[in-house]
Amino acid sequence: MNKYFSVFILTLKEYFAYRLNFLIWRLRVVIAFLIPFFLWLTITKQIKTFEGYEEKSIISYFFFSHLLSYFILGTRTVDISNQIQNGEIINLILKPMSFFRYYFFRDLADKILNLLFSFFEIFIFFKVFFIPFPSTNFQFLPFFFIFLTLGLFLSFYLNLLISFLGFWSTETWAPRFIFFILISILSGSFFPLDVLPKNLFYLILATPFSYLFFIPVKMISEPKTLVNKVDVEFIFFIAIFWLIIIFFTTRLLWQKGLKSFSFWGR
Amino acid sequence: MFKKIKRNIKIFLLFTNQSLKTTTQSRQAVFIFTLAKILRFIFLFGLIFLIFSKTNNISGWSLNQIIILYLTFNLIDTFSQVLYREVYRFRPLVVSGNLDLILVKPYHPFLKVLLGGVDLLDFLLLIPYSSLLIFFILKENVSFFSFSWYIALVFNGFITTTAFHIFVLALGLLTTEVDNAIMIYRDILNLGRFPIEIYQEIISFIFTFIIPIGVMITFPVKALFNLLSFKNIIFSFLISFLLLLLSIKFWQIGLKKYQSAGG
Repeated sequence: MNKYFSVFILTLKEYFAYRLNFLIWRLRVVIAFLIPFFLWLTITKQIKTFEGYEEKSIISYFFFSHLLSYFILGTRTVDISNQIQNGEIINLILKPMSFFRYYFFRDLADKILNLLFSFFEIFIFFKVFFIPFPSTNFQFLPFFFIFLTLGLFLSFYLNLLISFLGFWSTETWAPRFIFFILISILSGSFFPLDVLPKNLFYLILATPFSYLFFIPVKMISEPKTLVNKVDVEFIFFIAIFWLIIIFFTTRLLWQKGLKSFSFWGR
Repeated sequence: MFKKIKRNIKIFLLFTNQSLKTTTQSRQAVFIFTLAKILRFIFLFGLIFLIFSKTNNISGWSLNQIIILYLTFNLIDTFSQVLYREVYRFRPLVVSGNLDLILVKPYHPFLKVLLGGVDLLDFLLLIPYSSLLIFFILKENVSFFSFSWYIALVFNGFITTTAFHIFVLALGLLTTEVDNAIMIYRDILNLGRFPIEIYQEIISFIFTFIIPIGVMITFPVKALFNLLSFKNIIFSFLISFLLLLLSIKFWQIGLKKYQSAGG
């Protein structure tokens, strides 16, 4: 376990070595947060309630979504496809450690750093604009942790799956771009998914994207509006279903990829 | 003078032709990228309709006005991506020292580093964006006078976006920080997808007077609906002219400080 802890610490040190890059990345995150936050704040201020969301609940939703989205989605697995293309992956495969765990701990360092910065930014942001801090709903706390864990693993394996496409194609940026667009549309980063018409909302619940952070955010901010619409057991089983499918597909791609992988000159 | 322009156009077309060949090398990627961009466009378009199913205005802007604003944003943003794609590839030139090979060529370096990588995929997207824009403008009862101001201010927006891209190039010469700078520009520009009035006053002020995203996108649409004072129209032209001058000056400073490295 010690070696993975070292991977975790080294990844953190990498970020501190390239501080400006990381700070600019966080600045981008804050700018991206401004659009949906102020758009929905303006709407709920104007019409008081939008599909059950009031000013207070929209603030709460975006507060927790800012904290959790980059914690769940933060990843270093994007490097993998390049490592496959330039053969660098050989160095990792030859090491006496699990490739999956290695990247899991790298991701963990990324996530923790993102979470800390998100806390700091949102605290300053709410103070500067005199926005009241939302309260936390502890009633569904166990469910929050369950869905948070599911979201973390779903995000990890989905990202790995896309990176492993590098075993067969040099064009890995295009699938990642469409994945990124799908996440921005279907995961709830631009709006709470339950403001959509019922049928469309249920359709999105059938995809893995809503389990990345929409469900965990709802569980800690406004669980009642969600629980009134869908059965928690139902969404739990859908999330587990997707996790199993994506886990085994990722493993399969990894094994097939390693068999088809060849590189020379290093 | 005329001969020089003709020569520059010829070089520009040559680079464009090369860029088209490079882009179409991977057809799968072309298809996926275009699909993703269309998806994003349709999604945000749908979001506007979703919001307006519950309200008849956002900060005083009606559905049609917001749609025209959103399409104007897409037009200006896509225009800059069509023409200035090469800016995204500027950093490796500076880091490797290969920029020297461009600077010694007998044409203006902007022809290569700014305009040398026309993205024809995005150009295709300009067709539906402008068709939809014309369709929605025709639905409104706008005077020829207001429409003329709109067109003039959209062109003014193009000038502002050009200035921003030159700033990024100059920053690249000084610090090699191109990738982050261009992405921050894109993120800030995205704020213009919706009326600048939705943001708190201090943010609106910053994005109107300091980083004039509002001037680029919100002002043309306001002029179309006769909601922009003459004073603000003059201000728009002045600020874009000033930005363009400053960006060129900044580029010249960058060139003086540039030390070829790596090559």
